[in-house]
Amino acid sequence: MPAPLASFRRDPAVSLTVFALWALLALFVVYPLATLLGRVLFDQGTFSAAGLLTILTDKHQVRAFWNSLLLALLVGIGGTIVGFLFAFTAARCRLPRWLLTAIDVAVLLPLVSPPFTTAIAMIFSFGPRGLITYDLLGLKGVTVYGLTSTMLSEAVTYFPIAYLTLRPILAAIDSNVEGMALSLGASRWRVFRTVTLPLTIPGLANAFLLLFAASLADFATPLILAGNQFPVLPTQAYLQITGMFDLRGGAVLSLMLLFPALIVFLLQRYWVGRRFYVTVTGKGAGQTPFDSVAPVIRYALLAACALVTVVILYFYALLLYASLVKALGANHTLTLQHYKVIFTEGWKAIRDTLIIAGFAMPLGGLYGILLGYLVTRKAFAGRRTMEMVSMINYALPGTIVGIAYLIAFNDPPIELTGTALIIVACYVFRYGPTGIRATVALLQQIDKSLEEASQGLGAGSSTTFRRVTLPLILPAFFAGLGVVFIRSMTAISATIFLVSISWTLITVKILENMTELSLGPAAAFSVLVVAIVFVVIALIGRLLRWFRAPGVGQMTSMLGG
Amino acid sequence: MTDVTTETIGVHVDGVSKIFAHRVKGEVYAARDVRLDVAPGEFLTLLGPSGCGKTTTLRMIAGFEQPDAGRILFGGQDVTHMPTNQRNIGFVFQNYALFPHLSVAENVAYGLEVRGLPARETAQRVRDVLQLVGLKGYEQQFSGQLSGGEQQRVALARAIVIRPRVLLFDEPLSNLDAKLRVQMRTEIRDLQRRLAITTVYVTHDQEEAMAVSDRIAVMNQGSVVQDGTAEDLYHRPESEFVATFVGRVNLVPGRIVAVADGEATVAALGTQLRAHLAGSGFAAGEAVKLVLRPEAVELVPGAGASLKATVRSRMFLGEKVEYVLQCADVTLQAVRSGGAPGADIADGAVVGLCFAPGALTVLPERTS
Repeated sequence: MPAPLASFRRDPAVSLTVFALWALLALFVVYPLATLLGRVLFDQGTFSAAGLLTILTDKHQVRAFWNSLLLALLVGIGGTIVGFLFAFTAARCRLPRWLLTAIDVAVLLPLVSPPFTTAIAMIFSFGPRGLITYDLLGLKGVTVYGLTSTMLSEAVTYFPIAYLTLRPILAAIDSNVEGMALSLGASRWRVFRTVTLPLTIPGLANAFLLLFAASLADFATPLILAGNQFPVLPTQAYLQITGMFDLRGGAVLSLMLLFPALIVFLLQRYWVGRRFYVTVTGKGAGQTPFDSVAPVIRYALLAACALVTVVILYFYALLLYASLVKALGANHTLTLQHYKVIFTEGWKAIRDTLIIAGFAMPLGGLYGILLGYLVTRKAFAGRRTMEMVSMINYALPGTIVGIAYLIAFNDPPIELTGTALIIVACYVFRYGPTGIRATVALLQQIDKSLEEASQGLGAGSSTTFRRVTLPLILPAFFAGLGVVFIRSMTAISATIFLVSISWTLITVKILENMTELSLGPAAAFSVLVVAIVFVVIALIGRLLRWFRAPGVGQMTSMLGG
Repeated sequence: MTDVTTETIGVHVDGVSKIFAHRVKGEVYAARDVRLDVAPGEFLTLLGPSGCGKTTTLRMIAGFEQPDAGRILFGGQDVTHMPTNQRNIGFVFQNYALFPHLSVAENVAYGLEVRGLPARETAQRVRDVLQLVGLKGYEQQFSGQLSGGEQQRVALARAIVIRPRVLLFDEPLSNLDAKLRVQMRTEIRDLQRRLAITTVYVTHDQEEAMAVSDRIAVMNQGSVVQDGTAEDLYHRPESEFVATFVGRVNLVPGRIVAVADGEATVAALGTQLRAHLAGSGFAAGEAVKLVLRPEAVELVPGAGASLKATVRSRMFLGEKVEYVLQCADVTLQAVRSGGAPGADIADGAVVGLCFAPGALTVLPERTS
């Protein structure tokens, strides 16, 4: 009997699920990407590099490419430094509990916000009529647009990723190792330099690459802040399609993003990932048994963190304030007008977003644990490939995924443009992989002997999955649910290409409001999204505690990676 | 009683082999033609250093691994290809493998629920077995709240509550501290005697093996090298590996002078000694090693003794004193009980040696 048939006989449920997953992956991951490549490389069915060359020789577009890399580099470095500062302070400064919670909340804010939040706040503060530049300093004719503001805004938005990557690593370093160095006569600074820092280097590299990728893919911030003088690839691709109706040009531009993004992703997963000295089990190591930080340094670190935290809180307070006054910078009369607007004119966007998120969430969560479970615990041909393919949409910048979906599902045989399904599918296959990674990570920590013990006690493989494995990977399921929901509420880079008259999204509405300069409703929408997301995170936290699973931290950390 | 009272059966491992693909060494035998016969109700221990194949053998008996050759029989029934969950075994893992999301009572009840026992009987049996292992009152605790010894007891209760045909232990005590280890092995032994379940137990600790087992099979490099009672292995090792792995030993070089009736006269330590022959095929003139346990070396007053030695060093350990002796060109270890105060022998003293009758076993010089 041929091998596939034999394995089908042995476990038909597994074989059918594998087959179904492959079909879905082929349709929603491989097919769109192949169509995108086809569109770029072929013209009327014949191979043609002309389209590619037109764009590649356009000086403006080449500049956009280098600008994107420069921005990503700066954000990567800056964000990693700030993230390390926070992580080190949290892990080594013996902070009281409430202060740690405060840091966590401040850091969480940018992660769960819609994409324009810091950008809006930057304009409110530093724009031509900004609270700080105009009202406070009396400067006139300042311009906020350009590299500096884009970089600062992205660094504030993405440094939490570095924090969440680095903190568990710092916490997991066996404090005895540092204590040992100290007992051998090293000074605190020397211990930091020769022990702590070297042990953290893989984490730093990891954080840098994650930030680099996030910045490279960021579409919203540069769209608002970069201005004409500093074009970057994601926005250029968007403008090429929406402004010049040049689908092919947009496809080429998005593909230029592909190569750096792919290199960074591969480096991050297959190079840095194997160089960790400390294994992060999610269980923090005990408190440092000695004062690893001198009092002066401790205060300096705290002050630096406080400064960044204050800036973040100020941004969000400003956003809230802007949503509650008539026109920030001009008329500061309190009003609920903007909220009235978003719940009347904007109601459709809110409803659509919630419906789409409501469908994407359970589907994405289920997809995550199913695929994660199969690739870690079941042996079948091509399971490594399946795991890799499932990661593609997650690793690619949203702009590429969005344009690929747009091209692939615009025409027969599979016409999905204008439906909610295309947006739901985009979210499931783009953010479901966080659930896959969580499931894989969790299953790797769960010793196989647990499942063997169940078998030994007489349970079959389906009973074992239901009674033992499933309850243990529930945290991953909920974490996956949470991430898909939050991203469904806040993402824009891919779905901006997929919205239609029938189905639109809050984030797209925010962008429209921004371009129409109705900043009040934009601020009100943003506040609403942050509020909804916080409620959902709290609910999922409840659920996880109810299932005795300490997984909230894990979920928030997955928002980063 | 709804379930069938389990009959006591034997386990027969019939020429079982398992090959693993090793990254460096290529194909290696984790188990090679392993043959074991466990009598009904017997407690057999697989003893050997790490990597000797004992755990692989146990996991094949459990059905977690499939042998590449050979058969496994439970009381005459061939179970080689039977899935684990149909073998009706109790397995105790080294890490206990308690389900972290279930309470103690739920953990123990798991196997009974899988078997579809009525809730009332399940509850009764869980209560009984927890009482049996001394964990009454722990029903609602979770594994994270238990000490190592308590977790061990839960694992044991979970394995025996299903009344398995065969009880299998994989290094069950290695995660416990020394004192608890001694206590738990006594408990395991008593429980097994009381329940009379055929048991296969894996350990690398020879003292533990001797303490719990009816019979021990010593394994090395995938094969069973010798099996027998603890006394057999200790006093009549058939190879240098068994002699050195089970207990401490002096290996004294010598040469056979004459062979007769399973015994030999051996020239060693500058004299001639009578010794038991391990196996056959020995001939006069052959170079051999004599197995001599330290406690079989008796220290007597030096004057008039035919065999003399010098005390090079000694270590007072309370209940016993250990000596390092120089006898001719051989260094010997000897142990004797602590004795009365002042009864000790000083360093550098010359003492006489004599060996307990039957204490010497001849092994071939060629290593096993």
